[in-house]
Amino acid sequence: MLKRFLSERPLRLPHIKPYVPRPSDPSIFWFNSERDDIVADVVKRICSAHEPDRHRLEIALNDAAYHEIRRLETQRDEEARDRLGYWRSMIRRIGKMDDVEQRRVLHTIVTEMTRDVAGNFDPRVYRFARQAAPRLIGGIMEPRRLVAAAPESLDRVLKVQGDVELLRQLQNDGSLVFVPTHSSNLDSIVLAQALEISGLPPVIYGAGKNLFTNPIISFFMHNLGAYRVDRRIRVSLYKDILKLYSQVMIERGYHSLFFPGGTRSRSGMIERRLKLGLLGSAVEAFTTNQVRRVDRPVWFVPTTINYALVLEAETLVRDWLMEEGQARFIIEDDEFSQIDRWFAFFRKMVGMRGACIIRFGDPIDPFGNRVDGRGQSLTPTGRAIDPGGYVEQRGKPVIDAVRDAAYTRELGEVLGQRYEQDTVLMSTQVVAHVLFRDLVQSTPGMDLFARLRLRGEVGLDCETLCQELGEARDRLCGLEAKGRVRTSDVVKEDTPSELLERALSFWNGYHDSTAATLEANRVVLRDPSLLLYYQNRLVPFAEEIASPDQLQAACEIENLGVHR
Amino acid sequence: MSLRVGVIGAGGFGLAIAQASARHGHEVVLWSRRDRELPDPIRSSTDIADIRDCELVFLAVPARHAVEVAEQLGEAIDGRHSLVHVSRGLVGAELKTITQVIREKTVCRRLGALAGPLVADALAEGRPSGAILGTGFPELTEMVREALGGAELRVYDTPDVVGVELASATVGFLTVVLAYAQELGAEPGTLAVLATRGMVEVSRIGQALGAKESTFMGLAGLGDLIAAVAGDQRPEFRLGRALAKGIDLSNAVGEAGAYVEGIEVARHLMEHARRLGLPTPISSTFVAVSDGRMSSDDAIQALMERRVGKE
Repeated sequence: MLKRFLSERPLRLPHIKPYVPRPSDPSIFWFNSERDDIVADVVKRICSAHEPDRHRLEIALNDAAYHEIRRLETQRDEEARDRLGYWRSMIRRIGKMDDVEQRRVLHTIVTEMTRDVAGNFDPRVYRFARQAAPRLIGGIMEPRRLVAAAPESLDRVLKVQGDVELLRQLQNDGSLVFVPTHSSNLDSIVLAQALEISGLPPVIYGAGKNLFTNPIISFFMHNLGAYRVDRRIRVSLYKDILKLYSQVMIERGYHSLFFPGGTRSRSGMIERRLKLGLLGSAVEAFTTNQVRRVDRPVWFVPTTINYALVLEAETLVRDWLMEEGQARFIIEDDEFSQIDRWFAFFRKMVGMRGACIIRFGDPIDPFGNRVDGRGQSLTPTGRAIDPGGYVEQRGKPVIDAVRDAAYTRELGEVLGQRYEQDTVLMSTQVVAHVLFRDLVQSTPGMDLFARLRLRGEVGLDCETLCQELGEARDRLCGLEAKGRVRTSDVVKEDTPSELLERALSFWNGYHDSTAATLEANRVVLRDPSLLLYYQNRLVPFAEEIASPDQLQAACEIENLGVHR
Repeated sequence: MSLRVGVIGAGGFGLAIAQASARHGHEVVLWSRRDRELPDPIRSSTDIADIRDCELVFLAVPARHAVEVAEQLGEAIDGRHSLVHVSRGLVGAELKTITQVIREKTVCRRLGALAGPLVADALAEGRPSGAILGTGFPELTEMVREALGGAELRVYDTPDVVGVELASATVGFLTVVLAYAQELGAEPGTLAVLATRGMVEVSRIGQALGAKESTFMGLAGLGDLIAAVAGDQRPEFRLGRALAKGIDLSNAVGEAGAYVEGIEVARHLMEHARRLGLPTPISSTFVAVSDGRMSSDDAIQALMERRVGKE
């Protein structure tokens, strides 16, 4: 009961004296004073889109009641006891309601849903989290240094790359929308930390309601500007509210973060198929500001989050292989919810230099053009252009949802390409690829699942392996020189045998079963599905880093990514 | 409302588009490398900056010039412009479509590909015809209909841009194959099997590249192929016939009287299909024939002996 109370109504600290933001404070510090206005704006826009058309309004109400009844009937919990009666009674009355009554009901539903989505921002919680987070994470990594210099551990593990100075220049002139790749539930935490150590502003983001079930996480999430996304709610109005809430926040200059991949990459591959809903909301925010003649541009920052070790790798790859990635949208029983795995994970990571690399890519405007430090959109040859032209028709900026949807699809394509170019390949991924390619080569004609069952049955000669590893690394460095992908310093600097040793050491002792072990100068493949997960990051490059006799195996690997 | 239309390229298609647009009362400027005498009211220009004021731009240059022209065009156009290309080719071994090239070289994003059984003469003279426009921008479709359409040209549209571009490029190759078979005396039934199975073969590769099968079976694919076989005087048809007469590829290309990209496209498609593990019996056989590695009798035998499966 208490848990539900806290997750439904997250705790807020009492305000003795309201905090008055200073001009130098990031935009999020203004959020609390604007929250009611933002909620009202969202409610007004949603209602005015439905109200003029009785048919559309009735469909929206019926859809809301139908989906909520279905959800609550399945949930059979306290919420169901409280709310099921309301929806059942409403669905019976919709047809009999007059226009005024229908509009009143719509207004009530939309207001409740929007209030549930909207977050809170408490500067005191923010300051506490800024100071405590690195120490806590560092402490988990090295408990004996909890008091003294624990944040240093975090610095050693987490490396930030990219043109941070350019982002700092842009932060006061428009809305930055960070759009990272998504591998782990840790992503939002490490990204928040990366923003903090880079001197970049805090961002608002949508957090799954499942993360709010823990009262402590809920307290922090709720008071640091996160808005709540309940993925169990299938109501169209709710989806419209989420998109519009994100849009209104971006229109108002709040820096944002969302994961265009939607959920964590189950396969470990670099995301190519992106969910365009929230991306579209940012494009529409740009258009709306143009039409209103508000000079507040929107810039996207493609960001890659690269881990040598992924906390939830085993669950994710299992889910992918079971082809249940879509059905099991929210995995609640993975490694993220097991505190002992957190400890094991962080301890493993801290022993390894640069085990997590956040790379901020060059910012782009909503049409995929690069941007300079003054916020100007540039052509490929460096000529400055007015991005407002993209939303003009016969010289005037106009709102056109279909056109903006087409721009959003194009933006999704550009982000997919940028993810590839800005992915930093880690030691475990490169080693896993060479091992998995050898497995494919040594088992011609075998299907993927048969190969994954070969646990402990395939052993590879260490010397040959190191030679192949060296060749693959050299080819990857060649691709890096052409701007196709990036590799970590460790991949560039280690000798092949050090690289192999490092990867084996990463895997050993963290995952339930290790991916591979070294036995009498042979590397024995212990868990091909883990190898598959880590090597999947290299799928787009498989053919280009293969030697002629490995080409057939590389093609087979590359075909894994055809539908990614 | 009158549009300001820019046309890049003074080949047959470029001129036809300029004439059709002018006939519909639009202001037209045609850019080409050399200054030309053009019928009124079409304005000729050799300065790419003259395209800057146009709202709708047609790119009508062969695929092999697309990169170079797009680079020049990149200095004149921006986000305000809408651009439609009419090229039937692809660029390079990576099978880049023309819209991809334009996206890389310019900042124009409102893009479309016009294809299908559209013949330059019919367009120029206003004879009844039809075309397909691949674009994600409905406003662009409206502009193209306004510029070229009307009673004499039916412009259908589809959001499957890559499908239109790939289908259009592969029809060139299939036209060569069909002309070759016809010259060798193939029966209408044989031609129908070659055309249908050939389209299935290229559409399979197209789907792997993100296209929709239905686009290959519509105006951009089968529709265009029917026009080619019905005899709309394409150079690909002349090339196929010349090859069937035993003339080697380089001389046959000369006999076709125009640059033909079909066989080059087929080679790249085959390479791509090999990587994807897709079968390409018709393309592989015909490329072997055109390279002189296989006789026509062996080609027919190789194709006929293949195992027959479900359609």
